[in-house]
Amino acid sequence: MEKKKRFYFDVKWLFIIAIVAFLLIFQVFPLVYLVIRAFMSGGSFSFDAFARIYSTEMNWTCVLNTLITASLSMVFGVLIAFPLAFLVGRTNLYGRKLFRTLFLMTYMVPPYVGAMAWLRLLNPKVGTLNMFLESIFGLSEAPFDIYSIGGLVWVLTTFYYPYAFITLSRAMENMDPSLEEASRISGSSPLKTLFTVTLPLMLPSIAASALLVFVAAASCYGIPSIIGAPAKIYTITTRIVDYVYVGSADGLTDATVLAVFLMVLALVILFVSNFVIGKKDYITISGKSVRPSIVDLGKWRIPITILVGLFAIVVIVIPFISVFATSFTVNMGKSVFEEGNFTLKYWETIFSRSSILKSAGNSLISSVWAASLGMVVCIIMAYLLKRTRVPGRKIPDFLITVGSGTPSVVIALALIMTMSGKFGINIYNTMWIMVIAYMIKYMLMGMRTVVSALSRVSPSLEEAAQVSGAGWLRRLKDVLFPLIVPSVVAGWFLIFMPCFYELTMSNMLYSDKTKSLGVELFLYQTYHSQQTAAALAGCILILVAVLNFVMNKLTKGRFSI
Amino acid sequence: MMKKKILAVLAAACLALTASGCGQTGSGTESGNASGGSSVSGKVVIYTSMYEDIIENMEKELEKKFPGLDVEFFQGGSGTIQSKVAAEMDSGKLGCDILMVAEPSYSLELKDAGILHPYKYAEAGKLAFDYDKDGYWYPVRICNMILAYNPEKYGKDEVATSFRDFAENAAMKGSISMSNPLTSGTAYSSVVGLLDKYGEDYFKSLNAQNVAIESGSVALTKLETGECKEIMVLEESVLKKREEENSKLEVIYPDDGSIPIVSPIMIVDEAHCANNNIAAAEAVEEYFLSPEGQKLIIDGWMYGVRSDMEEHPYDSVTLSKLLENTIPVDYEKCFRQREEIRTMFQNDVTIPG
Repeated sequence: MEKKKRFYFDVKWLFIIAIVAFLLIFQVFPLVYLVIRAFMSGGSFSFDAFARIYSTEMNWTCVLNTLITASLSMVFGVLIAFPLAFLVGRTNLYGRKLFRTLFLMTYMVPPYVGAMAWLRLLNPKVGTLNMFLESIFGLSEAPFDIYSIGGLVWVLTTFYYPYAFITLSRAMENMDPSLEEASRISGSSPLKTLFTVTLPLMLPSIAASALLVFVAAASCYGIPSIIGAPAKIYTITTRIVDYVYVGSADGLTDATVLAVFLMVLALVILFVSNFVIGKKDYITISGKSVRPSIVDLGKWRIPITILVGLFAIVVIVIPFISVFATSFTVNMGKSVFEEGNFTLKYWETIFSRSSILKSAGNSLISSVWAASLGMVVCIIMAYLLKRTRVPGRKIPDFLITVGSGTPSVVIALALIMTMSGKFGINIYNTMWIMVIAYMIKYMLMGMRTVVSALSRVSPSLEEAAQVSGAGWLRRLKDVLFPLIVPSVVAGWFLIFMPCFYELTMSNMLYSDKTKSLGVELFLYQTYHSQQTAAALAGCILILVAVLNFVMNKLTKGRFSI
Repeated sequence: MMKKKILAVLAAACLALTASGCGQTGSGTESGNASGGSSVSGKVVIYTSMYEDIIENMEKELEKKFPGLDVEFFQGGSGTIQSKVAAEMDSGKLGCDILMVAEPSYSLELKDAGILHPYKYAEAGKLAFDYDKDGYWYPVRICNMILAYNPEKYGKDEVATSFRDFAENAAMKGSISMSNPLTSGTAYSSVVGLLDKYGEDYFKSLNAQNVAIESGSVALTKLETGECKEIMVLEESVLKKREEENSKLEVIYPDDGSIPIVSPIMIVDEAHCANNNIAAAEAVEEYFLSPEGQKLIIDGWMYGVRSDMEEHPYDSVTLSKLLENTIPVDYEKCFRQREEIRTMFQNDVTIPG
């Protein structure tokens, strides 16, 4: 008996050790190298670079701007996402499925393309929506100015609330209804039940989703560079990219030093949200029914549907129409309907130009790899976090969050410096360096989805399987995995999509053979032709919508994005 | 000095021979000096900031000219290329063999860093612009910084006709835009040219005008929609739109001078280049400098660099006409004071005034 125990080796450790090693080599080491480089700028250890960077007033303005925009986007994002997730997931709102798909669509558009759409709609001089509102209400000046903190927050919120929506609706749909039923039976109104039972139960998920929105907004580059820069509102990310583009070794050091702030910020947020989640860990899926009851909206059904519809029109439909209209317009100064101003040539370009097709293929392959490997890491790490008592089990979760909070450009630089042969690994100029960069940056969404799914599955189910003699892999395969499969698929897509059109990192890591769609799209957006970029973005959108539809049909509604 | 160079050429030839392998005939011994491109083989990677459309066209022509050679382009803005190269240098080896970046100050920096390969171009005397006397870099194309406006939205009398007016005319306030000198080499050179001509106050005025700092294509769209009245932009981007999209956007050659930026071509030396194919790199560089290669540049809406060519880009003035009124750029200064100037620009223009 004693002998047996000594040689007992659980296969799960093999997986766990492999993944931790992976994270250590490909994430921790490059980032640590970069931080050390920041301190060792003069050849010896010093705080000089830190003193220089953080004594510049401009940099503090950037820090402040980042904090303000990211916090506001987080608050608004959750405030929008929670009611939407509730209405779509738990009430008899009309057109729930359609709304659900619509709300997730924003996630499928590259933020820089969306930012351009909003720029065209809401710029104070000739913004389409502004002009429209002016003429309708007889205003003397434009009601909205996109070039402001408010404008930046608006675009950030409309692009990142889906992160919260995804997390919250998953949690909502898997909630154990018996608690709410108990509240209803005891005489509470649906509204009171929402506030006294549903909301508190959702708290961990709310905290997790708030974290996601905050980190995404704080480390976003595309939106602040397009909306903020013309308004002279700079954030840490735009500032870092500026420093990187100074091109000298000092510039790199300065960028790194500033990046350390974002990393620290991500750490603090993680700590806070872990504190909230850690204190209130609910298990809300029992072994029994997992179909939550549907709340009847009663006489509010139509008004609320109209309200949600309006929101969808403003936030999703209008910008999308703007993107599509752009893709058919020759001269952006005139209406697409004007004589001779309508063209299909941009759509022809995207299907005929070999470099675009090749890039699309490259991106497809590398993001499938990133999403698949990423999900393997996420599932096992989530298991480690939620199902074991290993000391340090929170470290991988922590690392994944830090990776996601690190600005893309910093990840890219760190990987170039450490993965191009200097330390024995040379994957520079290959697809793998991009796959790894994508994983570091985007695994968090997958990880959060799986963790929240896992934390809602009671361990008793697995224990039952274990008692019946199932090994770890078997338990994972037969019990846990089927229960969390919708979350896994969702998580896969949440990693896949941003990788598919990822820009900042690909921009530094691509070689001629591995040029990605995001790079192509951004080059067209900022360099060659905005119309071609719009056509390309429109095409991605249609593809995703079709894919979602097919998946939904094939699996009879079980899987959808 | 001379000995060293001979050694270098010999070493290059040896390397080229070994690289090209046994399957090749001995016809490649003349290596860099050979005018026929067919003798080189292997692979050459070029980092460049040129437009993708132009590159696509060049790739086809290069394939015809050098059937045995695999020429690959990596396209990116000067900022991207420079940070990529900086990170690559940290690891000891670059990913390219040839660089075709926006302006020569970067050539001076790389020459100083000792990673460039000297190459004597036989017809260097026919170049209309300064080049490195040791052959470390040559001008290969001219990117011309001008002003542009949209006659469909505003009359020419409503917009500035000089760079000075662009920064000082109060009617232009909030309606102008220019590229970011941190990400664009041509924008940076223009900033240095304007700094020498008008001093730092010029940029304080630009700030007071609320100039937007953004990429060229975003600015062009804003010009089309009328959000911007006038923009500081590269002539080639306007000409391209005029020829390809029949756009009505118009170029203004500023009264105080255009800023033609000399974009160089240079070869990375054996120790740092990606493919150890110096002979091929020399042949490609020679081709780009020849009238044949220059034609590709001019077809790509940029000015050529040879004084013996009459051709000029679509809808543009001739090179000699252009050179009559220009604002000169001190590239040595661009190189030596890069950080101060960039910091100056950031402080003067990007911080709300």
